[in-house]
Amino acid sequence: MATETEHAHREIGAAAGTLDLMVLKTLYALGPLHGFGIARRIEQVSRDVLQLNEDTVYTPLLRLQQQGWIAAEWGASERNRKAKFYCTTKRGRKQLEAQTRNWERISGVIGRVLRLEAEE
Amino acid sequence: MSSPQRSRLRAFAAKLRGFLRGHQPDPELSDEVQEHLQLLADRFVAQGMPREDAAAAARRQFGNATLMQRDRRELQTLLSIEALWQDLRYALRTLWRSRGFAVVSIATLGLGIGAATAIFSVIDNVLLEAFPYQGAERLVFPRIHGGQQSGEEGRQGYTAAEFLEFAENNHVFDGITATGEDLILYKTGEGTEQLYSAHVTPGAFEFFGMPALRGRVLEPNDYEPGAPPVFVLRYKTWMQWFGGDPSILNKTFVLNGIPRTLVGIMPPRFGWYDADVYIPEKLTRDAKAASSGPAANWFVVGRLKPGVSSQQAEADLTVIAQRLAKIYPQDYPAHFTVQIRKIGSTVVGRFEATLYTVLAAVALLLLIACSNVANLMLARATAREKEFALRAVLGAGRKRLVRLLMVESLVLAMAAATLGVLLAWGGLKALVAALPPDLIPAESVIGLNTRVLAVTLCVAALTALIFGLVPALQSSRRDLNDPLRDTGKGVSGGFRGRRLRDAVVVLEVALSLTLLIGAGLMMRSFVALREVHLGLRPDHVFQTLLSLPAERYKTTQQATGFFRPLLARLKALPGVEDAARSSALPPYNYAETNMEVAGETPDQDWRALFQNVSQEYFRVLRIEFKKGRAFTEADINDARKVAVVNEAFVRRYLPTKDPIGRRVRLTGLETSADPARDPWFEIVGVAADVTNQGLQVPIEPELWIPCTVTNSGPQVLIVRTSQDPATMMNVVRQTVWATDPGVALAYSGTLEDHVNERLYAGPRLGFLLMTIFGCIGLILVTVGVYSVLAYSTTLKTHEIGIRMALGAERADVLGMVVRTGLRLVAVGMAIGIAMGLVLGRIIGAQLVGVTAYDPATLAATSLLLAATSAVACWIPAGRAARVDPMVALRYQ
Repeated sequence: MATETEHAHREIGAAAGTLDLMVLKTLYALGPLHGFGIARRIEQVSRDVLQLNEDTVYTPLLRLQQQGWIAAEWGASERNRKAKFYCTTKRGRKQLEAQTRNWERISGVIGRVLRLEAEE
Repeated sequence: MSSPQRSRLRAFAAKLRGFLRGHQPDPELSDEVQEHLQLLADRFVAQGMPREDAAAAARRQFGNATLMQRDRRELQTLLSIEALWQDLRYALRTLWRSRGFAVVSIATLGLGIGAATAIFSVIDNVLLEAFPYQGAERLVFPRIHGGQQSGEEGRQGYTAAEFLEFAENNHVFDGITATGEDLILYKTGEGTEQLYSAHVTPGAFEFFGMPALRGRVLEPNDYEPGAPPVFVLRYKTWMQWFGGDPSILNKTFVLNGIPRTLVGIMPPRFGWYDADVYIPEKLTRDAKAASSGPAANWFVVGRLKPGVSSQQAEADLTVIAQRLAKIYPQDYPAHFTVQIRKIGSTVVGRFEATLYTVLAAVALLLLIACSNVANLMLARATAREKEFALRAVLGAGRKRLVRLLMVESLVLAMAAATLGVLLAWGGLKALVAALPPDLIPAESVIGLNTRVLAVTLCVAALTALIFGLVPALQSSRRDLNDPLRDTGKGVSGGFRGRRLRDAVVVLEVALSLTLLIGAGLMMRSFVALREVHLGLRPDHVFQTLLSLPAERYKTTQQATGFFRPLLARLKALPGVEDAARSSALPPYNYAETNMEVAGETPDQDWRALFQNVSQEYFRVLRIEFKKGRAFTEADINDARKVAVVNEAFVRRYLPTKDPIGRRVRLTGLETSADPARDPWFEIVGVAADVTNQGLQVPIEPELWIPCTVTNSGPQVLIVRTSQDPATMMNVVRQTVWATDPGVALAYSGTLEDHVNERLYAGPRLGFLLMTIFGCIGLILVTVGVYSVLAYSTTLKTHEIGIRMALGAERADVLGMVVRTGLRLVAVGMAIGIAMGLVLGRIIGAQLVGVTAYDPATLAATSLLLAATSAVACWIPAGRAARVDPMVALRYQ
């Protein structure tokens, strides 16, 4: 049952959709990266606020691939070994724009509402 | 399509792709993960960690790879096999734990699915796929319908010239063929047997599009003049007469005096025209050239070109027929049109409405079975609330819970489908045995086939969805805290849900009572029918239809020359009491004549049935005489023009007069095959009424005349035996052949069997179907009332606990629950009685000896239903009354 608990947290946690967006943005900003590289980047940017197991990037990667927003190809890692590199597609960039706008709008609204409450 | 929709669709497509590809491990991913772990470890080493710790640290930081793989797999497949397997095992385990529930559900659904499967098989085989021929749904036959004729009347037989005209000049058929029937006398070693032949025109087998099972079908050469005579045999006849012996192929048989070679045997479902043998015949316009076979009575069948409507076809054929009417004006009535009808429509027409009505009733039964099981599941779900809450708390998603319950439902439905198919298989066997003859086309084979089984499977899956989804959604929707919190359940039943459940029970009761009333009426009617006196004694009578070779028995004298020694021989046999000759197989008579009575001036046509009989006839069948006398030997020997009439004749035509000594003229005899000159007959006796048109219609006026006066009509031999008549078959046959080996016997059997088959099979089928469905309805009602009460008392356990704590007695609780149930039953019964009265009206025409609102039937069926429902109420009520208030309150 323990696995089920963890699984539920992954499912319910807000991270699911957000993580997809973060991975997409990372790939857009930094070009082709492998899973390790994406994990490093997110670690850096979130300044250790978001502590995640690095395996969690692989599920979003598959989901984004299925949607056709990113593409993958084999390349050589820093150790000169075979590694899979991901990059955004045209459709992915369009999606990123749309989602970013959406995110900003919603966070803006939530921010305003929260400020309003604080003032009262 | 909006973008979230599109993206969901893409996700689904990906899942579907993965599902179709089948589950396979992802080697690329493990390479990827390996590399990731290596890079992470390298990084830790670079930060100063010892190499041996770095690998473990990398794994820790990376997380749970198995879990991630499962997440990814779920993205790539519709169902994960192991989860499904887990659910399945779990479902089987839980169902095993609650065996009672499982058995009741499976039995309920199985009954519903079985009934639906059986009826659907009949519909599939009789209505949807009755004919195995090419483009069968476009096969039609034309009919000349006169302006004066009522609905389904019209000429369906054509001359060769008419057929050729239609065949050559129509624009609406892509194939057309004509069939004529004939009687075939076929000589065996011992004597002669009778077969029916269908003479078919060139291209007939190409038209039907069925290859032969063995040998070949008729080919173009076979129709040419001078070609060696050949024929093709039907499968059923092959089995019946030759035991399926393949060596008879290419042997020569003498059919109606012509040696013909058997070139092919058709597959089982080929039964065109219900014939035994198929003989090639090329039609020509020259009537004299038509060598053998049926003269001017060809049945024409065409296959409509795709896209041609009935109206177009009728218009096209009417143009041709109008041209023909100018050449043969005597054959065409005034203001006629050509109508076309689908083949089989005349056979199954009467049956079609009944079948669809029964299907509707069965679908309703199935729906009710579903709602019953849904109720049972709801009741169970309530009891399992804690389990679900615990599962949810432990992290089972809602989807997973719904799936778990749906798997349980599917397991139930599939078990029910298996049971249902078995029931249908048995039921169909019984149904086929109970079907009256000539009700379905000869080509129909009623049985389960793959299509029927596929439909059953779909229906079962659908039922699982119907009865499983609502409870599954309802129980998974619950707030996790709700069952753990201390709220009473008395209020949580949901008002709308209760309304729905109550309505279902009311509907069930009403429907079941309607069916029971129908069954009751049919049963009483059937019993009454069995008590109707036929006017004759059918026991210890053997009868057979004789076919005399036409070339040797043309005149009355010739026929008498055969029958006189035959009857004498039969009477001398041990075990035979008496023997007679007749022109109809009792208890039916179809020969009708116009007639007049001397001294009477009728205001309309006077018609009566007539039969040619020998003097023994009335004695053999034990027909009573009301007045006058029967025929004497002298009457028959001298071919005196005397007649015996029945009581119906006197009632209708000579109600106030003494019929004895009156003279009647049978005008029909003047134009019959063996015409009688000056057909005036003196009435010498009045016999009691004998059933002559079936049991549900009144007895027609009938008269009997000596068989030596005219030879027209069938030749029937009736033998009264002192032993079991069924054992007389061989003796009679040998005696007939000893008299003339060229005479064939047909429709041989006991009069009792004939009566059972012809008179009682129809009503018995109605009564059987109604009773079966009534019983299924009753079972469903019992389960339905029980399940709803069981559910609502479970919900009310808390309330009952409080009531009992406040001093309510067990009897009060018992009464409360039973009252709740019986109130619903009472409402349903009121509706059911009303519907039963309407049903009685509808089937009123088929009822004999009982009115549509027979109070005894209404009372008995209502009582039966009420008693059954009371038992169904008692069980949950008893359980509720045993509630321990302390436990109920604490538990809640």
